[in-house]
Amino acid sequence: MAQTGSDRRRIAGPEESKPPIFLSDEQQLHTWKLGDPRQGRTALDVRPIFLQPGLIDQANGSAYIEAERTKIACAIYGPRQSRNVPFHDKGKLNVEVKFAPFSCPQRRAPLRDAEDRSLALAIYQALVPAVRLELLPKSTIDVFINVIEADGIDACIAAGTTAASTALADAGIEMNGLVASCSAAMVGNEVWLDLTEVESRSTTGTLVLSCLPALGTMTSVWQTGRMTTEESFQCMDQCQSRCTDIHTIVAQALRENA
Amino acid sequence: MTQSSISLSKAEKSYIQAGLLCDPPHRTDGRPLKAYRQVELETGVAHLANGSARVSIGREGVNTGGGTEVVAATKLEVEDLDDGGIEGGRIICSVSCSPAAYPHLSSSALEDLQQDMSIVLHQILAHRTLHPTNLGIIRGKKSWLLHLDAIVLSDSGNAYDVMFMAARAALWDTKVPRTRSVEYRAPKGSKSAVESEGMDIDPTVSGFDTRQLSKATDFELPDYWDEGEILDGRERWPICVTLNLVPPVHYLDATLQEEAATHLRLLLAYSFPTSSTSTLQGVRLLGPGELSFEATKSLIRQGEKYALEVFTSLEAKLRDEDFRRYQKAQAKFSRTR
Repeated sequence: MAQTGSDRRRIAGPEESKPPIFLSDEQQLHTWKLGDPRQGRTALDVRPIFLQPGLIDQANGSAYIEAERTKIACAIYGPRQSRNVPFHDKGKLNVEVKFAPFSCPQRRAPLRDAEDRSLALAIYQALVPAVRLELLPKSTIDVFINVIEADGIDACIAAGTTAASTALADAGIEMNGLVASCSAAMVGNEVWLDLTEVESRSTTGTLVLSCLPALGTMTSVWQTGRMTTEESFQCMDQCQSRCTDIHTIVAQALRENA
Repeated sequence: MTQSSISLSKAEKSYIQAGLLCDPPHRTDGRPLKAYRQVELETGVAHLANGSARVSIGREGVNTGGGTEVVAATKLEVEDLDDGGIEGGRIICSVSCSPAAYPHLSSSALEDLQQDMSIVLHQILAHRTLHPTNLGIIRGKKSWLLHLDAIVLSDSGNAYDVMFMAARAALWDTKVPRTRSVEYRAPKGSKSAVESEGMDIDPTVSGFDTRQLSKATDFELPDYWDEGEILDGRERWPICVTLNLVPPVHYLDATLQEEAATHLRLLLAYSFPTSSTSTLQGVRLLGPGELSFEATKSLIRQGEKYALEVFTSLEAKLRDEDFRRYQKAQAKFSRTR
């Protein structure tokens, strides 16, 4: 039965869905406990990143990023003329983040549950200081980010930011520098970088840092949960050094694509 | 993505910025850079809510307009765990902005603004490290859903700080109704037994006897006169200080005009679970501008000092309000009787 008011052309899918629990995942989860070393990689490792600019032909610029099970595609349209808005001497950056229905363990219903404004807000803040919007009066740049698979929400913000800044560069939009982003969290007394969904369940506080490694400045710091001031500084330092590496990956990917 | 809510000409902006940067700094209302305007707080303003507070900052006098005013209230709802609830209860925060507070904004811009504010409030307050322990009702069946709603009635700058103060005061004021689990046991005649889960045991016959509940437990309220118990962990709720950045200086408690002239804001939410410890509960950098790492770190350190000052005075006021509403009222009541 299709709900009234919903899109009739779309197959609605079941009202609720439960993610399958695999025995191997369960076992892995149960063997790890707080205080143990991290499984699969060291605490300060990020997942290996695959970054490919220019994957979507019809967009002015695009990028696809993959870090194990985090997969995000980003497309840039514009700069185009802003319609129906009064004059602005600065351009407008419009960020939209959409989740594929199958991107999370719990199904995200299309239209109703697909859009996440909190992610869009975080990514917008990370990008906006870098883009030279003062050169684009009366115009809008659309940044569409599609999360194809998400593994860890903070990692999603970080990967989305990196992909969007790559795509902006690919679109030839002037920027002060490339934005690189990395997430960190406190697990026990240790700083772990780039947490997966499973790992993030045992954290008390997380931090996402976006910066312009070329200029040595940061564009966004986004912290939630409990952390002492010193712990937050540790997280920021580790993120900063990892962002320098991510910056190299972005620059390399852009150079190869050029 | 919030635009400032008023439009200011370039000349006005540069006038305000120049004033902040000169030595000694000048602000339009003559305040020092690190001074707050006068804060007024009252708890228990909404009688149908489980906890409520009204906070205003910078009003010109008693019972006059002006200033930033936020009313926050908490409302508890019973929620089944099968449809949406989670074990141990959950918290949902939302912010609505009165169109009267933002006459310059279109309805869609207002919608965006209140969504952005809701996101910040929800992400910081509904985090699991702050979750109160007494929002569960029946293990595995029912729990409380706490709605925290803040309404921005008027905005003359610094809405975030006022909103967090109001939210903290409302949560501080929140009383969770005492509940008692009820279980029906079929054998041994048709008498019912009342089982308690960590609540006070009272083996009186309950009104649920007539219902043939198989094994399913329900709950009842032992008494309706008492308002309930205090929401757990009320010392932990954070407060927020917004550092408005005009490099190299920063200032607190911006007015609406100053906000429009400042590009970058650093929101710091600090919690002081005990008098000697402090923890960071949220950091947000808002606005189109960059910061160096060293500057950020020193700002976070300084923010902690400001937050402690705000926290101490808020705490004193909240205890004072409790005293006013419960002990003084009781004394007055017993006198008249």
